[in-house]
Amino acid sequence: MDMWKKVGFILVIFMSCKKPYNPPIVASNTNYLVVEGVVNSGADSTIIKLSRTINISQTVNVAAELHAQVSVESDQNASYPLQENGGGNYVSAGLNLDNSRKYRLDIKTANGKLYQSDFVAVVNSPAIDSINFQVEANGVNIYANTHDPKNNTRYYRWDYQETWVIRSNFTSYFKSNGDTVLGRDLSTDDISVCWQNHTSSTIILGSSAKLSNDVIFNNPITFIGSTSERIGSKYSILVKQYALTGDAFAFWQNLKKTSEQLGSIFDAEPSQISGNIHSVSNPSEPVIGYISVGSVSSQRLFIANQQLPAWLPTNPYPECKLDTFLYVYYSPGSKTPVNQVNESLNYLIGHDPDPSIPVLAIGRPGSPPIGYTGSSPMCVDCTLRGSNKKPAFWK
Amino acid sequence: MRKIYLLGFCCLFFLQMALAQQSAVKLISANLQQATIAQFVSDIESKSSYHFFYDVTQFDSLKITLQVVDKPIETVLDMAFKNTGFNYSIADNAVFLTKGRALRADLAVGYTTITSAQPAQTNTVVDYTDDKDKKVPDATTENKLYEIGTRTNSIKEGKALLSGYIRNIKSGEAVVGASIYVASTKTGVASDAFGYFTLSLPRGRHTLNIRGLGMKDTRRQIILYSDGKLNIELQEQVNSLKEVKISADKVANVRSVELGVTRMDIKNIKQIPTAFGEADVLKVVLTLPGVTSVGEATTGFNVRGGAADENLILLDGSTIYNPAHFFGFFAAFNPDIVKDIELYKSSIPEKFGGRLSSVLDITNREGNKKIFTGSAGIGLLTSRLNVEGPIIKNKTSFIFGGRTTYSDWLLHLLPEAYKHSSASFYDLNLDITHQINDKNNLYLSSYLSKDKFKLNSDTAYSYSNKSLILKWKHNFNNKLYSVISGGTDNYQYDINSTDNPINAFDLAFHINQSTFKTDFTYYVSNKHTLSFGVNSILYHIDPGTFEPDGVKSLVLPQVVAREQALESAIYLGDKYDITPELTISAGIRYNIYNYLGAQTIDRYAPNLPRQPVNVLDSTSYAGGKVINTYAAPDFRISARYILNDNLSVKAGYNTLHQYIHLLSNSTSISPTDIYKLSDPNIKPEHGDQISLGFFKNAAANTIEMSVEVYYKRLRDYLDYRSGAVLLLNQHIEQDVINTQGKAYGAEFLIKKTAGKLNGWISYTYSRTFLRQDDPNAGEFINEGKYYPANYDKPNSFNFTGNYRFTHRYSVSLDIAYSTGRPITLPIAKYDYAGSERVFYSDRNAYRIPDYFRSDFSINIEGNHRVHQLTHNSWSIGVYNLTGRQNAYSTFFTEQSGVISGYKLSIFASPIPYINYNIRF
Repeated sequence: MDMWKKVGFILVIFMSCKKPYNPPIVASNTNYLVVEGVVNSGADSTIIKLSRTINISQTVNVAAELHAQVSVESDQNASYPLQENGGGNYVSAGLNLDNSRKYRLDIKTANGKLYQSDFVAVVNSPAIDSINFQVEANGVNIYANTHDPKNNTRYYRWDYQETWVIRSNFTSYFKSNGDTVLGRDLSTDDISVCWQNHTSSTIILGSSAKLSNDVIFNNPITFIGSTSERIGSKYSILVKQYALTGDAFAFWQNLKKTSEQLGSIFDAEPSQISGNIHSVSNPSEPVIGYISVGSVSSQRLFIANQQLPAWLPTNPYPECKLDTFLYVYYSPGSKTPVNQVNESLNYLIGHDPDPSIPVLAIGRPGSPPIGYTGSSPMCVDCTLRGSNKKPAFWK
Repeated sequence: MRKIYLLGFCCLFFLQMALAQQSAVKLISANLQQATIAQFVSDIESKSSYHFFYDVTQFDSLKITLQVVDKPIETVLDMAFKNTGFNYSIADNAVFLTKGRALRADLAVGYTTITSAQPAQTNTVVDYTDDKDKKVPDATTENKLYEIGTRTNSIKEGKALLSGYIRNIKSGEAVVGASIYVASTKTGVASDAFGYFTLSLPRGRHTLNIRGLGMKDTRRQIILYSDGKLNIELQEQVNSLKEVKISADKVANVRSVELGVTRMDIKNIKQIPTAFGEADVLKVVLTLPGVTSVGEATTGFNVRGGAADENLILLDGSTIYNPAHFFGFFAAFNPDIVKDIELYKSSIPEKFGGRLSSVLDITNREGNKKIFTGSAGIGLLTSRLNVEGPIIKNKTSFIFGGRTTYSDWLLHLLPEAYKHSSASFYDLNLDITHQINDKNNLYLSSYLSKDKFKLNSDTAYSYSNKSLILKWKHNFNNKLYSVISGGTDNYQYDINSTDNPINAFDLAFHINQSTFKTDFTYYVSNKHTLSFGVNSILYHIDPGTFEPDGVKSLVLPQVVAREQALESAIYLGDKYDITPELTISAGIRYNIYNYLGAQTIDRYAPNLPRQPVNVLDSTSYAGGKVINTYAAPDFRISARYILNDNLSVKAGYNTLHQYIHLLSNSTSISPTDIYKLSDPNIKPEHGDQISLGFFKNAAANTIEMSVEVYYKRLRDYLDYRSGAVLLLNQHIEQDVINTQGKAYGAEFLIKKTAGKLNGWISYTYSRTFLRQDDPNAGEFINEGKYYPANYDKPNSFNFTGNYRFTHRYSVSLDIAYSTGRPITLPIAKYDYAGSERVFYSDRNAYRIPDYFRSDFSINIEGNHRVHQLTHNSWSIGVYNLTGRQNAYSTFFTEQSGVISGYKLSIFASPIPYINYNIRF
C-alpha cells in the first residue's frame, strides 16, 4: 500500500534525516531510446517525443533523437506519417482515427534501427466533469472529477499546465535604450505584470477499477501552498485527462513508484520498467516508453486571490530595494556639487556588470529629473521569469 | 568468635548425645517482618527443637522478613539468609550462623567411604524410595547428602537413573537448560524446557555440579542406590550486574551436540542499549553472528542468508507472525515477562519445522509459585507492568504482563501535516502454570498485541497478534515424558480510509492457524535419548477483503478466496552417545502438506509463462477437499567429537521445507505484506545447510570461542515481477517468480562469560546470492544471473560488552559495524512526463556506505538490601553515540522535475534515553 509510505515518512521526519547523496559515479554506455507521447485519435495534433538516455552524471539533459522516421500504423496497414518538428518532436495534425481499430507506432531511427510498439486499442477519455479546488488550512488542493457512464474507462492519467500572474517588486516607468534613460510605454512595454507557466512534472494517476461505477471523485491533481506566489494574484490551471488501458496504467504506476515514491522505510525495490515499445532487430535492447492511443479531454480552472483566505504570498526576492542614482551629488557638509552623471548612467543603462533598471525619476514635476531610482533586474523585470504578453485564454 | 565456636562444639556433642533419638524432619511456619536476629531465633527455637549459635555482633544489622508455612528448617534458613552473605550449617538440632563462610557440619568427604557397610553418617537419613506416594525431595542444600532410591546396605553394581526438576527456589519456576555435570564420570545433561532432567549414573556417591542460566552455581551430593528422583532448587543470581552469561551452560559450548544455537537470558538482553531504552529481544538477535537485517527499524531479520519470513518465531510455542510494534521500532515481546530466547541457526531440532532458516524460541517466565511479586518500568515512550504470584501456593501460579505506549505526544510535536496523527500499541501476556501432581503439569499461555495508527485523520491502520496455547506435560516414568499441546494463533490487519467518501474502503487480512503437537522424550539409556512426535497445523488465510465504508462509497466489495491447508509432520530423533567423545544426533521429520478447498485453481500450460493467456483450465474444488499434496522428508543430523576437555569439533547437515510464504515487494517487511500458502502453482520452499564448527573454552570455561562455517542452498523462494501488485491479487501465481539462493559464511565468536568485564565479540564473513531460474517466469532480474540479496553484508563485526564497577553500577557498550547493504543505483537518466527519470542498473549491483553504530548505557541498581518494599533501578543511555548518519537507503527521486540522489538515515543523531524500573 502506498499509504504505508506516508507512515514511513512520519518516522523519517522525527527520527531520521534525508540528506543529499551523490553515489559513486557510475560509468555506463547506456544510450537507450525513449519514446514519449500519446497518439491522439481525435482532431487534436499528435506529438511524439524521441530522446535517448544519458549518463546520470551528465548535466546536459537534452539528448533528442533527430532525423527519425515516425509513423502511426493501423492493424489494417494504413500508415500516418509524423513530421519532424525539431528537438526530437515528431508531430501530426489531427489523425481522426477509427476507434474500432488498433494502432501502433513505427520508428526508424537515423542509424537505420527499427522500433515498434505493440498494437494498442483506442481508449478515449470521457469528458472531465469538473476541476475544482478546496481551501485547506495551509493551501489549496485542486481536484479532478470525471465519470464514464459506460463504465469501461477505469484507468486515468492527468497532466496539467499552470499559469499565474506574477508582479515585480517595483513598477518601472523608465527604460534605457543603451545610451540614455527614456520613458516607458506601459501599455505595450510593462515589465511589472507577467504570466508565468509551469508544466506538471509528476505522474498523476487514478483508477475506479475497484468501484462499482466508473467514477473518479476528487482525485488530487496538485496542491498550492498558502504562501505560494501562484495564488498571490490570479491563477489558472489547464488539466488534461488521458484514458489508459490496464496495462498502460501499470506502466505509469511503476514509473511513478520508482521515480517519485522512494525514500520511505517500505520502499519498493527499484526495478526496470518495460513499456510496449520494442526494438525489432534486437528484442533484448531496452526501449523506454509506453504508447497509448486515444482522445484527450481537458478543462481549465481559474482561481482569483479574492476567492481565497487573506494569505500573504512569499516574496521570491525579499532583498529587493531601490537605489538612488543622482546626477549631482553633494558631500555631507559641502556645498560644492559633484557631477556624477556618467557613473549614474553607467548603472542605469546597463554598462555596469551589475546593472539596475530605472524605476522612477527624481526631481520637481515639470523640470528635468536630477536622477532616477532603480533596482536590479530581478526586482523590476518580470519577463525574466515569465511573459508579459497576456495569454489568449486569460480572463 | 572463638569462644562461640568452642561453645558451639561443646553444645554439639552435648546435644548429639542428649537428643540422638530425635531425627525426624520437623516443619516450621514463620511470619516475620523486619525482625532482628534475636527475634528470628527465638521464634524458630520456640517452634522447633533447634538451637542457634551465632555471634550477635555480626548480625546486628540484619533484618529478616519471612513468610513460610510448613517448611523444613533448611528452606526457612535459605529464605532468611538468601543474599545476605550469612550462612548457616545444621548439625542435628544445632544451627550455626556465620558470616561469609559456612561452617561445615558434616564430615569431610571421604571420611566415610561408600563401600562401607555402615550407613553414611549424615543427619538427614530419610528414605526416598521410588514410592509414588512419597514426595520428591527438594534438594536445596549443598552440604547435605541426599539419598536416592531404595536404600541398600551395600551399593549394587551397575547404573541407576536419576531424574527430577530443576527449579528456582524463589519462584518455583522451572530452570531451562541448566546443566548437571558429574565430574567423576564426565557425564552431563541439561534440563529441558520444563526444567526436567534424566541422568544415568553408576550407583554410589556422586557430586552433581549444577549450573543454570542466571542461577548461582551449586552442587548437590547424592548417594544413588537405585532409580529415583531428586528435585533441585537453585538460588537466583540476584545481582543481575554480576555476570553476563550468554550460554546456558559453561561447558555446553564445547559439549553440546548442536551447532549454531545461542541461548540468551533476559538479564543479558536488558544490558544491551537500545534506541528507546526498552530491552528488545529482537535487537539482541541482530548482534549475534550470522544474523543481519536490511536496516534499523525493520521488523525482519535474516539468518544465514535466509529471507525474513524464513524464521519461525515462537512465544511459548505459539507462532507470532508480526513480532514488532510501531513499524519495527519495538519488539512485540514484553522484556519483563520473557525469560530467555534461543536462536537455532543450524541444528534445528526435529520437533521444529515449517521455516527454512531459523527458529527463534522465546520462553516466558512462569509465575512465582510462592509469593506475589511484580515490577513496573517507565520509559520515554512506553511503560510496563507485570504481576505474578501463586493461585494455589506451590501448585498454581500466574504471570501477567502488560505494556503500552504514550507516543502520541511525540507525534503532536510534528509539523502541521502530521500533527493530527496518532499511534498506539499495547501487548498483554497472561500465563498460568498448574501442577496437577508430580507427573502432570498444565501450562496455559495467552498473548495479545495490537498496533493502531491514524495519519492525519486520513487512513487508519491496525494490526494484531493473538495466541492461546495449552500444554500438558505428563511423565510416564523416569525415562519417558510427553508434552501435548493445542493452540491457536491469529494475525490480522485492517486498513480503513474514509477521507474520500466515494473511495472510502475497509481492507482486511487475516490468518489463523490451529496447532496440535505431541512431543515425546524418551531416555532409552545413557547412550540414547529419543524424541518423537506428531505436529499438525491447520491454516486459514483470508488473503484480502476489500469493502466499502459508508453509504456514499462506490467501492466494490472484493474478496480473495480463503485459503486452507493442513501441514502435518511426524518426527523421530535420536541423540546417541557413541563414546564419551563422539555424540551423534540424527533425526528425520516427514512433512505432509495438503492444500484444501474450497478453492478455484487455474492450470497453466506447461513450460509457458504463467500468464492469463496460458491458462488451460480452471477447476473448482469443494470445501475441505484435498487439492494437492506435497510430501517430503527433512533430515537433521549433527555430530560432536570432543578433542580434549576444552575443544570439540561439530558438524551438521539439515534440510527444511516451508509451505507458507510472505509476499512482500518492498525492501523490508511492511505491516501490510500478506502470507500465501503453497498451492498447485506455488511450490513449497526448500532449503538445506551444511555446517562445521570448532568450539573451545578457555580460562576455566569463562571464555568461549567458536568458529563456524556453513553453506546453504535455498530453492523456490519467491520473488516478484517488477510492478507486481500483491494485495487483492486474485492470480498471485502470475506475479511471482521462483528464485533460488545460496549463502555461505564463516562466523567467529569470542565470549567472556564471567568477571567484571564480560560480553562478546563476533565477526562474520558471509555472502548471500539469489538467482531467478523459473523457466515459466517470462522475465528475469539480472538476466537470470546471481545477484546479492538485500541483506547481503559480507563483513559484519559486533562488540557487546558490560563492565561492572560495583554491584550497583555497570556500563554497557555496544559497537556494530557492517558492510553497507546492496542497492540498485540508476545508471542513466531521461526525460519523461515533465521530469527527469532514472534507468536502474542490474539489481543490487552497488552498495550503500558502510554501517557503524555505537551505543552506551549506564545501569544503576538501587541499594541491595533484600528485604525492602521495592527494588528499583535506572538505566540511562545513548543510542548511536557518535551520531553517525548511517544510510538506511539511498534513493533517487524527482524534485521539481529534476532527479536528485538522497540518503535516508534513521536514528541519525545520538538518541538519549532513560528508563526507571521498579520491582515489588
